[in-house]
Amino acid sequence: MSGATQVRNLTRRFAADRPPVLDRLDLDIAPGEFVALLGASGSGKTTLLRTLAGLDPVPEGAAVDVQLPAAVVFQQPLLLPWKTVWQNVALGLGGPDQRERAEAALREVGLAHRSTVWPGTLSGGEAQRAALARALLRAPAVLLLDEPFAALDALTRLRMHDLVLDLWERHRPATLLVTHDVDEAVVLADRLLVLEHGRIALDLPNPSARPRERSDPALAGLRVQLLAQLGVHSRAA
Amino acid sequence: MSQTSIAPRGAVSVLAPPLWRPEWRLPLRRLASPLAVLVLWQAASSLGLLSPRVLASPLQILAVGWTLALSGDLGHNVLVSLGRVAAGLTIGVSIGTLLALIAGLSRLGEDIIDAPVQMLRTLPFLALVPLFILWLGIGETPKVALVALGTAFPIYINLFAGIRGVDPKLAEMGRVFGLSRRGVIRHIVLPGALPSALVGFRYSLSVAWLSLVVAEQINANAGIGYMISDARDFLRTDVILVGLLLYALLGLTVDALVRALERRMLAWKPSLVRA
Repeated sequence: MSGATQVRNLTRRFAADRPPVLDRLDLDIAPGEFVALLGASGSGKTTLLRTLAGLDPVPEGAAVDVQLPAAVVFQQPLLLPWKTVWQNVALGLGGPDQRERAEAALREVGLAHRSTVWPGTLSGGEAQRAALARALLRAPAVLLLDEPFAALDALTRLRMHDLVLDLWERHRPATLLVTHDVDEAVVLADRLLVLEHGRIALDLPNPSARPRERSDPALAGLRVQLLAQLGVHSRAA
Repeated sequence: MSQTSIAPRGAVSVLAPPLWRPEWRLPLRRLASPLAVLVLWQAASSLGLLSPRVLASPLQILAVGWTLALSGDLGHNVLVSLGRVAAGLTIGVSIGTLLALIAGLSRLGEDIIDAPVQMLRTLPFLALVPLFILWLGIGETPKVALVALGTAFPIYINLFAGIRGVDPKLAEMGRVFGLSRRGVIRHIVLPGALPSALVGFRYSLSVAWLSLVVAEQINANAGIGYMISDARDFLRTDVILVGLLLYALLGLTVDALVRALERRMLAWKPSLVRA
């Protein structure tokens, strides 16, 4: 396998009498590639991500190959309230230097000063940064982001975009970002996928050079294309 | 728990802004009515309105308590009662914890354990005293057994609910980050169930004192309950009240210890962090 992630013929259905959530889906992600996965609610985005993360079993007849180590950032930070921030970041790590490594990761997300507090005292953005540090610490070959910015306020979200891009450029994991937000997708990703009826209905490269301006007209074109695929048509058109 | 402790404080601050009613006056004001009751009680006794056969006076209770303490009777009886509570509580809480862990951590365990425990729970366990006497005689064993039986249920019920109440998303997160099933239990399930377990433990403690009171009526020859029933035979209301006071004091002390333990072990709780 040369790619970071390879999915073949993945079908999942939750009820026999309903159409499958994922229908013979194929997907390849190259090492270091930043891919955004869009789709309407219930289109199977999260199901796909859960399968990639190993949380759901791979159904018979399908092949799912995810390069390890893989790490996930969920929509909620999911920090353990009974462990300090650095202990959360180091969860499952072990080893004598786990604290140093956790604190180094926290420094990267700008949270070094909060290393010894309880997660209950963090703001939403800080908690999500800690979750990002926890994922980063595993030096993942594949980073799965499950709508990690959805629960944040608009300003915090913009800062988190910059932080994620920054970290991605430094560590270059293959990244799959599941999102509802078309703007977020076109600014962050190199490749844009739309999931529809259980398959990849649209697979667009994003040629726009980095660093990207949110107002870049090339992004506006992509945005219109993606929205049209998602069933939202521009009024001007 | 935290809400009940916050509510009166909030009510006081609305009624009595700290500007014109300093904080230190509040505890004094709260003590005023119990003190008044004590004074009235003593006055009624001293004036002969209250017969010592009905209720001994506060000063007399103090004096008798002091005499009993000096003679060593008090200490001995307290130690015997404490010993029964400690033994029964240790056995009961261990069994309750073990059963809750088995039932909480596996479906099979739940099927096997939970139904019979829930059925037994509906039985008022104090009603088992006659059976316990038949089975275990009238020595120390039925007394300790009664405390053990009573204390097993609260810890079982709360710990079981606590284990099942842990956010499954946290467990999923643990698996994603490479924790084994054991690691998930150790780092996520058990700490997550700890607050409920401590609530259960506090219930167990109060049940322990309750069972002790009943158990010590079974032909005891030492212990606070024995002291009380012995005093009843001689119409000594002062000694009876000393015994009741001891029960109350012991209960309060142990509860304070557990709450201190709670503050230490649950230091991460947001309500405690901000306090």
